[in-house]
Amino acid sequence: MLRPFEIHQPESVEAASALVGRYGDDAAFYAGGTELLLVMKEGLVRYRHLVDLKTIPALGALDYDAASGLLRIGGTVTHRALERHPTVRERFPIVAEVERLVANVRVRNVGTIGGNLCFAEPHADPGTLFLTFDAEVELVGTRGARTVPIGAFFTGAYETARQPDEVLTAVRLREGGPQTRWAYMKFGIHERPTLGVAVALTLDAERRGIEDVRIAVGCVGPVPARVPAAEALLRGAPLAEADGPLERAAQVAAEGADAVDDLHGSAEYKVEMVKVFMRRAFRAAAARFQ
Amino acid sequence: MEAQGASARPVVEISLTVNGRPHTLAVEPRETLLDLLRMRLGLTGAKLSCDVQVCGACTVLVDGLPVSACTYLAYEARGRQVLTIEGLADGEGLHPLQQAFIDHAAFQCGYCTPGMILAAKALLDEIPRPTTDEIKHYLRGNICRCTGYKKILEAVLAAAETMASRHG
Amino acid sequence: MAEALRVVGRPVPRLDGFEKVTGRARYTVDLVVPGMAHGAILRSPVPRARILAIDASRAERMPGVVAVLTAADLRDIDPYYGQLVRDRPLIAIDEVRYAGEPVAAVAALDPATAQEALERIEVAYDELPPVLDLDAALAGGAPRVHARRPAGAPPEAEGNICFHARVARGDPEAALAGAAHTFEHTFVFPMVYHYAMEPHAVVAAADGPAVTVWTSAQHPFLVRADLARMFGRALEQVRVVVPYVGGGFGSKSYTKLEPLAVALARKAGRPVRVALSVAEACLTTRRHAARVVLRTGVDRDGRLVARVATSWLDTGAYADNGPRVTARAARRVLGGYRCPHVRSDAYAVYTNTVPAGSFRAIGAPQTIWACEVQMDLIAQALGLDPVEFRARNLGRRGEALLDGERPLDADLEAGLRRVAAAIGWGHPASPRTGRGLAVGITDAGAEPVASAIVRLHADGSASVHESSTELGQGVRTVLAQIAAEALALPVERVGVVASDTAGTPYDRSTGASRSTTVMGLAVQAACQEVRAQLAEAAAAALGAGAASLCFEAGRIRAPDGREIAYGDAVRAFFGGPGGELIGRGYVRGGGRWAPPPLFWEVGWGGAEVAVDDETGQVRVARYASLADVGIAVNPPLAEGQDEGAAMMGLGHTLFEALRYEAGQLQNGNLVDYRVPLADDLPALETGLVEDHNGPGAHGVKGMGEGAINPVAPAVTTALARACGVVVTELPLTPERVWRALRRARAQQAVSAG
Repeated sequence: MLRPFEIHQPESVEAASALVGRYGDDAAFYAGGTELLLVMKEGLVRYRHLVDLKTIPALGALDYDAASGLLRIGGTVTHRALERHPTVRERFPIVAEVERLVANVRVRNVGTIGGNLCFAEPHADPGTLFLTFDAEVELVGTRGARTVPIGAFFTGAYETARQPDEVLTAVRLREGGPQTRWAYMKFGIHERPTLGVAVALTLDAERRGIEDVRIAVGCVGPVPARVPAAEALLRGAPLAEADGPLERAAQVAAEGADAVDDLHGSAEYKVEMVKVFMRRAFRAAAARFQ
Repeated sequence: MEAQGASARPVVEISLTVNGRPHTLAVEPRETLLDLLRMRLGLTGAKLSCDVQVCGACTVLVDGLPVSACTYLAYEARGRQVLTIEGLADGEGLHPLQQAFIDHAAFQCGYCTPGMILAAKALLDEIPRPTTDEIKHYLRGNICRCTGYKKILEAVLAAAETMASRHG
Repeated sequence: MAEALRVVGRPVPRLDGFEKVTGRARYTVDLVVPGMAHGAILRSPVPRARILAIDASRAERMPGVVAVLTAADLRDIDPYYGQLVRDRPLIAIDEVRYAGEPVAAVAALDPATAQEALERIEVAYDELPPVLDLDAALAGGAPRVHARRPAGAPPEAEGNICFHARVARGDPEAALAGAAHTFEHTFVFPMVYHYAMEPHAVVAAADGPAVTVWTSAQHPFLVRADLARMFGRALEQVRVVVPYVGGGFGSKSYTKLEPLAVALARKAGRPVRVALSVAEACLTTRRHAARVVLRTGVDRDGRLVARVATSWLDTGAYADNGPRVTARAARRVLGGYRCPHVRSDAYAVYTNTVPAGSFRAIGAPQTIWACEVQMDLIAQALGLDPVEFRARNLGRRGEALLDGERPLDADLEAGLRRVAAAIGWGHPASPRTGRGLAVGITDAGAEPVASAIVRLHADGSASVHESSTELGQGVRTVLAQIAAEALALPVERVGVVASDTAGTPYDRSTGASRSTTVMGLAVQAACQEVRAQLAEAAAAALGAGAASLCFEAGRIRAPDGREIAYGDAVRAFFGGPGGELIGRGYVRGGGRWAPPPLFWEVGWGGAEVAVDDETGQVRVARYASLADVGIAVNPPLAEGQDEGAAMMGLGHTLFEALRYEAGQLQNGNLVDYRVPLADDLPALETGLVEDHNGPGAHGVKGMGEGAINPVAPAVTTALARACGVVVTELPLTPERVWRALRRARAQQAVSAG
């Protein structure tokens, strides 16, 4: 049962930020509410003021700049909008593909990308994927605007680098070049994913050698994270001989996974699944060059 | 309500359209769309079940999109068109999905049925001739504990055919 | 000899179709009773404690609060209820026995106020060490969940044993000692949750001598009896009305929330609505977790010679229907096999967890899973084909497997071969896929006591009054078909009025697959009585002999060709513009129903599964279900029952398990408790065997539960054939299967090295 609260409808990010600045711990930003309202119903948190971000038109924008290849996703853009947006489907097909598998259609219709990132529920997909884009998170607060690399954004389960008065105004993704392919694999039998692995694989011009690879693992630990040591093992390897490095990289990624025991399974099992799905996601990305 | 502190509780005025009829109501921000429909408008077709957006029993369409009315503030429906199961039929003339659910015995206890039919409507509005896999994917967020889903899929496929032939 | 049937056996649309697809169907949660207050329940945060004090004064003073109910309000009534063992107080008295047990309840003018008032009730607990699982409960010196012997406790109840049932024949220990081969296996089945999508709901009014409850109950007359006894009322003073029910599956059988709601309404002096959340429904009832140990002896020819079964069922903090579940488990674990020497002991064991009660095919999925997986293991060990091994041991039609038991009324072997063929048994499977089969029989039907009234109106339409609860199984449609057949009326001319103890006649219960069979006979008998009266009326009107008349489609024809419509005959009889003919029918115990059970419910299943070796994930690609139904009164409805049961079975096979930690339920919500979804549907095929072999109208017998039983063993044995690993604990989660695979690989490595 939701407790009484007041709802504020700011027209600008500055106004929104000021409201949360004024009410402090009594206030929270509110976008889709698909996560926030659940914990409020449970009584796990209580806010007397919700500051609606959807009344700020700019936050709902989804812009693609062909010249720079930059996609700017406004904080209140819904999962479903990303899933169905023609430009996203054409230029960032992996984003549409991952979004299509988030929760269910009702949650995707209402839940926002900003809310998803800021809530930082460990069992979620977009953050993991965005790590392989080296995405940038735009934050605007009472003390001004800043940009945080997504790798520095998630700081713990349900915790981020965002200050309480800061609004996530947008997340920026840069398009991959013609030699980059993505794959995302999620696993689990529960409503939320038990594990997610994203791989962005960039080959050289001949498509023989691995020029770059970005790998992120999500859901198994408190935060989604890149696995640089694993990436380093693969970088520079010939694709045809990637099996050995991939095996070692998977091992390294598994060792580095900060897996925890929970209802989804034991840490031991999750670590093993990191290996399995890293191999699979890498091979799926490689297969997309064919 | 005679309840305690009602006057102290914040209230916002909203206008919305439900099943084609306009309403202007003062709502508490914490009021869910499901409570508004069920308790204020007497539209009890949408059901509360899981209360965590998993089961779909509370599915209604807002501007054509399915939402979980249990976790969707009534405030969000301001200025929007809400369709509930009560507004789907044209009098006693059933929507093809409703008829197909009857023809294919696609419900048993019926508790999930209003939400299931509305979710299926949104699907067919988006993909008029879905494959079985597309139906399974779209309806994975609507739980039915009675039927085992098989007859629901058959009903949705049949309704799609009926609707396509009408438009054809 | 097949009768010519017009309505029975046809895919008649459901009577509740229009209401259910348009949102007009009213469930208990939808009801608004004038003056109604809203209830909320304060639940124990700890699994076991003495209640030292409850201070509700702050809640009582809250504006909008009408009443707060605690144990102090129960002194003038008998607050205890329960099937056989009356161990459960309607609200905790002095002690709490599980985390989630109701401790106090509030009635307020609106739901939010009721919820907020709960926080102002202070309860002082003195925590006691709980017993949280079977091992803890059975350990020497374990604390007792019920320190005092509850009313109705059987003599053998001792320590935390709530109930013991035994089925025995011959000398199994001697036979085991002399058997050519002996096998012992242990099987573990989890606690599972029904998730009927409508959580329990009650509106109760008790502000005078009359008590009225509208409730989501499966068995309104048993609820009525409990309420009358507890609150000191005559049966006629208690009215139980059951609107549409949003799924039961046993979760709403017997008495659940009704006594609490009545006590709260009595204190409030006005009607009170108590509607649980799903989280609270998870704290109300569940299926028994079980551990089953099977010792089986087989002779040189692959015939069973002895079986010793011991089943422990975790019944939670209160008996609920645990004793009956336990009695059924004791029989059901033996399956449909011929075995000269058997002993099966089943124990219901108290623990400080959510009480367990009825759930679709009580005591069967746990035990049939154990029985059938072991049959496969034995076949494998003996190098026999599992179909042939089973066929060699299955009882034949007409054979009584135990003394004093109804002979088998179905051809178990034929059904097994049919599902085997349906899943391609004997043909090569793809790599990492496997096929498995199972057959389960259950002694079904419950007590055969039911009454019906049929009224033939002056326009020739008819109403059937009966009290089988419409849970979604389609009982009203099926009874209307049986009535239409018996009355020679089009089914559109028959309505069903149901489930109001003040206006519809007695039915013992809706469960155990009994309604079509038992109530169907009562309805048919009532129709025959109406028809006899109608014949007299028509004979007088037409001047013909009653025996010579022909009934067809609402008209009666004399041998000379003259006709009269039913309605005209009714009016002619009464000599006025109106009137009605009333027939009654009943079914009672004994006689035709001896020996028990009323009939055998039989379900066969075959599965084809694929396993992902690296992750342990099991995918059921194909499932064939077959049920022995006598006759399908309404084929799509019968198929729907089996499809639903098979998918529900996939749930406890693959995903479902309530998880406890330190006495707290960890996953009592739909985010963490996973039930089957649309995209889990395999290629699912259902078949119905129609041998007219049932005791009901037109040879019908009960169905709808039997299909859940073969799922887990069929999938488990298919998995074993896919990857060589037998998993003896459910559910088959990826991690559990992965661990089993890893263990098997390690053992292989050891033996190879």
